[in-house]
Amino acid sequence: MAMTTEGNSAQRPTSSRFTIEAKSPFMLQVRAWWPPVLWSIVLLIIVAIIMLAGGPVLQKTLTDALIKLLVVVGLYVFIGNSGILSFGHIGFMMIGAYGAAWMTCCPRTKKLFIPGLPEYLQTHQFPFLVSVVVSGLLAAVVALISGSVLMRLSGIAASIGTFAFLMVMYSFYLRWDPWTRGASTMTGLPVETNSWVMLPFIVVVMFGAFLYARSRYGLSAKASRDDEVASKAAGVNVVGQRLLSFVISAFIVGMAGALFGHFLGILTVDSFGLPLTFITLSMLVVGGMQSLSGAVLGSIVISALFEALRQLEVGFNVGESVIALPGGGREVGIGILMLIILIFRRNGLTANQEIYWPFRGDAAAKTAMSRKS
Amino acid sequence: MLLKVDNITVHYGRLAAVRNVSVEVNEGEIVCIVGPNGAGKSTTLLTISGILSPTEGTVTFSDRNITGMNPENVARMGISQVPEGRHVFTSLNVEENLRIGTRMRRDRAEIERDFQMVLEMFPVLGERKRQPAGKLSGGEQQMLVIGRALLTRPRLMTIDEPSLGLAPKIVDRVYEVLTDLRNRIGLTLLIVEQSSERALKAADRIHVLRSGQIQLSGNAADLRDGEKVKQAYFGFTEGVKHEGEVAF
Amino acid sequence: MGYILQVIIDALSLGSLYALAALGIGLLFGVLRLINFAHGDFITLGAYALIVPAYGPNAIRFIADFPAPLLIICTILVIVAIALISEFLIFRPLRYATAATLMVGSFALSFVIQNLIIMIYSGRPKSLNLWSELTEIKFLVGDVEIALLPILIVAVTLILLLLLVLFLKRTPWGVQMRAAAEDFKMARMLGVRANFVISLAFVLSAALAAVVSLLFEAQTGILMFRMGTPLMVFAFIATVIGGMGSLVGSVVGGMTVGIVSSVLQAGLPAEVRGYRDVFVFGLVILILLVRPQGLVLSRAARERV
Repeated sequence: MAMTTEGNSAQRPTSSRFTIEAKSPFMLQVRAWWPPVLWSIVLLIIVAIIMLAGGPVLQKTLTDALIKLLVVVGLYVFIGNSGILSFGHIGFMMIGAYGAAWMTCCPRTKKLFIPGLPEYLQTHQFPFLVSVVVSGLLAAVVALISGSVLMRLSGIAASIGTFAFLMVMYSFYLRWDPWTRGASTMTGLPVETNSWVMLPFIVVVMFGAFLYARSRYGLSAKASRDDEVASKAAGVNVVGQRLLSFVISAFIVGMAGALFGHFLGILTVDSFGLPLTFITLSMLVVGGMQSLSGAVLGSIVISALFEALRQLEVGFNVGESVIALPGGGREVGIGILMLIILIFRRNGLTANQEIYWPFRGDAAAKTAMSRKS
Repeated sequence: MLLKVDNITVHYGRLAAVRNVSVEVNEGEIVCIVGPNGAGKSTTLLTISGILSPTEGTVTFSDRNITGMNPENVARMGISQVPEGRHVFTSLNVEENLRIGTRMRRDRAEIERDFQMVLEMFPVLGERKRQPAGKLSGGEQQMLVIGRALLTRPRLMTIDEPSLGLAPKIVDRVYEVLTDLRNRIGLTLLIVEQSSERALKAADRIHVLRSGQIQLSGNAADLRDGEKVKQAYFGFTEGVKHEGEVAF
Repeated sequence: MGYILQVIIDALSLGSLYALAALGIGLLFGVLRLINFAHGDFITLGAYALIVPAYGPNAIRFIADFPAPLLIICTILVIVAIALISEFLIFRPLRYATAATLMVGSFALSFVIQNLIIMIYSGRPKSLNLWSELTEIKFLVGDVEIALLPILIVAVTLILLLLLVLFLKRTPWGVQMRAAAEDFKMARMLGVRANFVISLAFVLSAALAAVVSLLFEAQTGILMFRMGTPLMVFAFIATVIGGMGSLVGSVVGGMTVGIVSSVLQAGLPAEVRGYRDVFVFGLVILILLVRPQGLVLSRAARERV
């Protein structure tokens, strides 16, 4: 895999007129870490513009989009590296969201709504950031347990297994009244999440995901993705490497779930079902499943389109009359767009490639990169 | 000329499995392509059948360009392939297997005549008409797929490694049947084999394929002593020829 | 005694619905290696086809008022048409894509159909009585009243299974489909037309979906834009349990899932009854691990091993 990425970056058009000589050690690092650096800058600009100039509705939409983006980056860590399509990660998001609620809700709410909690959780209240990380860890533990079973499967059977996992978790939480309020809405989570809170999480996770993908472990997982039999023969512990990527991605998605819970302040099991699974998966597929850039770009594009179509749904005035897209229209639009991309650009907008240092002087970057991998 | 494969190059992804290969087959001929494992023999046959598309070159069949035509239409043109590994439909019974290819024919009476002919040729298939084809032995399955291909009434039959995994005695029988078919009904055959000995005996002309390229082509009669074939097959150059102690 | 009979009939009728839906999924998986997540939405559309496409809160009966034979034929035709259009627009261009891409494609189709229904019919549930006399007629068996509908569902399923078996075993088209399901390339090399066989599979699958939607609608009397999804989910796991690619497996799997859920519903202690689906889905993971080829080993799968 390292060889292919290098081959591809060599193929990249080098006609850029700019030459930024990366001679200082700092610039060499920037170049080596360019995909997460680039996307951090892009997201910082987007967040800054909307938080400073956008209205409250747009700001809420942005936060929602950033939460989905974090989920999609989490999905990428597993799907992109292991090559197994997962339908189950929204289950980890749910685990993270409820886990955080158990920790951060005020004791009075907990006693009222979720009396099943053990004494210690019932009476204590934990800080927001601690809860987010611990909820991510909780999702990771569940991933470790379920994954040690599911990751023994390969290909389509593994995908089906993750689908069954989602259904198991979903039906379980839907009935687990003393802990989750079941089919009712859980309220009283402190509202903490906004775009400025999301940004550092996303940046750290992007760098982590990039580091993992280039590490020995990420490369082994990719080897098993590209040829399971050959990598087994070469001594790669396929199940173990898959499991590792599963656990890391569940940790990220679990944190995203916790952040999601503290965004609206309310939770329903119903919101963690197939529709959200579809939206996040389609973001990843649209961007390109096998690159971090694909995950981020796909999320940005779909979220932007969603927002544009939402504006249409609200309607705009044409002379006397209001033209509006009927309800469900934007989902239809996204679905059709997704199908078009699947048919005409099977590897997504990024064609599964990372977006590398666009300025000339590749050789130095490559040495820096190969030192990383 | 019945079949003309003209200068085809076939890629799997970026990798060229076959480069600039040309093969010609005249009506009523038995032509053999021999070559070691991975030489591109099966790729060539699959390209003729329309399963693969060449990136360069053309395939012409009885003066029609069939390059890139889909497999079912190639079959309807009159090329029947017996692929490597036989590919019987194990869940269908023997008769269903035999008759599946007759669906594209319109000459009802002729179909029945051909069916009887196949049963006469391979009596064991008649005895086991109602049995699932998966229950047949390897040799019987080879008979079944040859019979199945015959029932499409092909103008050209291509066979990929008919001797693969069969006992020598049964291989003899298979080649007996194939030669007999050519002599009796004038069937044109393009056979692919790894071992050239048997193929040399049956064939009118042979091509040696190695590393995706034709190394040698000629009349089987001229190549009977095998020395040139050996050389082309293993790729010995003049200088190192004598180092090779490989038994053929 | 009567209670047990009730449970048995409920189990069989639920199993029958799952088996029919699973067959629809299994047929497509057989020839196309497509896991059609949109199958549930074909079922939903079959029910919505009965009413006038209008946004209002009430269902305006349309095909629903036709005499039964015409009603059945019209519903089947509508769903078959929609399935063929989906095949042509989406699955044909994606034919040589990986199984995962096909799966995502069907996921997208499902999403589009559900939201189209919201756009056209609105997302609110509507009530629609179909053949309500079927649920009203009851037999007295011992001390228990048994409605006609569940018995009818089982009977219809048996008849359709018989017809499908006859079609697959006795007709040339059926033989071609079986051949294509086992070895698609080889079938094509023998002149079997890929487009034809795949379209045929879509037609059969859609017709089965339409029948399921009518039976389901008669049973529930309600229209919801996601009504087919649970059926699809259970039917899908039924095909996994039975063995993907095996039609017998789909039927066995559907029956198994239906019977297991009914029996769990009746037999589980009240405090864990709510977790029934957890057990059913857990069963899927268990079967994937212990017997990845499913309960019924399909010949195609055996070939590949």
